[in-house]
Amino acid sequence: MSAGIHIRNLSFSYSGGKPALKNVSLDVKPGGKLGIIGPSGSGKSTLLLHLNGILNDGHGHVEIGGTKVEKKTLPEIRKMVGLVFQNPDDQLFNPTVEEDVEFGPLNFGYTREEVSLRVREALRSMNLSGFEKLTSHHLSLGERKRVALATVLAISPRVIAFDEPFSSLDPGMISQLVALINNLDATLVIVSQLLMPLIACCQDIAVLRDGEIQAAGPKEEILRDRDLLRSNGMDPGFYLDIYQEYFM
Amino acid sequence: MKHSFIDKYGNLDSFIHRLDARIKLIALFSFILIAVSEPRGILCPFIWYGMIIAFLVLASRVPVRFILGRCLVVSPFILLAAVFFPLSSMITGDFRGFEAYRYEYAVALSIALKAFSAIILLTLLVSTEKFHNLLLGLRQMKMPRLVGIISALMYRYIFILSDEALKTNMARESRTPGKLKMNKFRVYGNQSAMIFLRSLDRSRIIYNSMLSRGFTGEFPAMRDTGITAKDAAFLFFFILILLAIRLTNPGILCLNNLIRF
Ligand SMILES: Nc1ncnc2c1ncn2[C@@H]1O[C@H](COP(=O)(O)OP(=O)(O)O)[C@@H](O)[C@H]1O
Ligand SMILES: [Mg+2]
Repeated sequence: MSAGIHIRNLSFSYSGGKPALKNVSLDVKPGGKLGIIGPSGSGKSTLLLHLNGILNDGHGHVEIGGTKVEKKTLPEIRKMVGLVFQNPDDQLFNPTVEEDVEFGPLNFGYTREEVSLRVREALRSMNLSGFEKLTSHHLSLGERKRVALATVLAISPRVIAFDEPFSSLDPGMISQLVALINNLDATLVIVSQLLMPLIACCQDIAVLRDGEIQAAGPKEEILRDRDLLRSNGMDPGFYLDIYQEYFM
Repeated sequence: MKHSFIDKYGNLDSFIHRLDARIKLIALFSFILIAVSEPRGILCPFIWYGMIIAFLVLASRVPVRFILGRCLVVSPFILLAAVFFPLSSMITGDFRGFEAYRYEYAVALSIALKAFSAIILLTLLVSTEKFHNLLLGLRQMKMPRLVGIISALMYRYIFILSDEALKTNMARESRTPGKLKMNKFRVYGNQSAMIFLRSLDRSRIIYNSMLSRGFTGEFPAMRDTGITAKDAAFLFFFILILLAIRLTNPGILCLNNLIRF
């Protein structure tokens, strides 16, 4: 089911801007779970947009499940890679939850029976059964994030890429989302500024800064390197220090 | 967010909602062709057109207040256009006293009636059909694909705009305890520039999210959109009645030529 990701020497600049990605190489094996951390503006979202070819005119090579991302493979690539955007409001644009979840499968040409089956299944797996006829923009943020995820799950992608899935969620909603993510049967790439939930979801972690991969490897290795984390504006020890100062 | 969708009554159920989107589109176009082409200054038929419109509105179960609200929004423009005609005759040439401009008043009134009937029916169309289905209907009627994409994005863009406007309003008000002490035009100017820039940015992201789910500009439909015999019958009688009004100009209801001036 899952597909591997293979990125070699990917460089990209927005028109008129400085390079947003410089010579990025990354591998995720089928079923692997990669977390990407890095300061704001380091190119994390830009990298995700390359995974399903929304951006595809950079230099370098991106391959999903053995298929090279290029103009002529886009339909195939987009069926394979689901993107969950940071702000669910950017992903939900239909009047009802059901219509938003239908959108992907319909575009990919599934039969109506298949589409309604997929919608039901995607909503069920996100604990959203019964939400079909509701209006997305009346739901809470946590619910909207789950609907956004359902819109992607309905395509049954073999790779799912998340952009900041945990941002602005309260701790209860975060742990619920972590549980849902850990139940997914796909290769995962998760960009997050929040280290703890990321650790709970991923085996590997890559650190991106100024468009370059600073380090990548098993999470145990990366997280032990406190200097690396601190120099990338990510220091879980910061909280530990506060805790120790006041309560120990 | 507080805004509502344009097609927020699209989920109600009435015989008008159940009509095929294409039928409704053709009905609207026919109405505009037939009623709006009434010669200037002719008022009588509009009593009949008005009754048809009233019937459709009531049958649709869309709240009358909502539709009147829409009319209110556009009324300044319509009234301006209507007033322009008598006014321009009054100021060009010798002024002959207000009594002398009956024909011009009638023309102004007929302009306003035409505009309002078109607006009411357009509002009704958008309120009795999901926007998506309207686009689909237009596509099936050979509207170019690009126009479809643009309309779909416009539809979404309106919400983004109002969203961003709400947010920047909050940001501004949270920092203005009382009246604005600065140059108003500059503040509002800056704010609207910001709204447009941010909306543009967000629309790009939304377009990306549509692309990432396989959007190619087509609008595949989940539900059947076959035209039924009922649909066809509605359209047939609708156009028949309009044509009858248009061609026979029935004057029965123009009591004592009350509104003929
Ligand atoms: N649409 C865009 N046009 C121009 N520059 C952009 C655009 N999106 C992002 N950038 C720039 O590219 C760089 C990387 O941005 P991004 O990938 O969004 O970073 P991150 O997700 O890590 O915060 C930043 O310097 C940002 O300003
Ligand atoms: Mg980002």
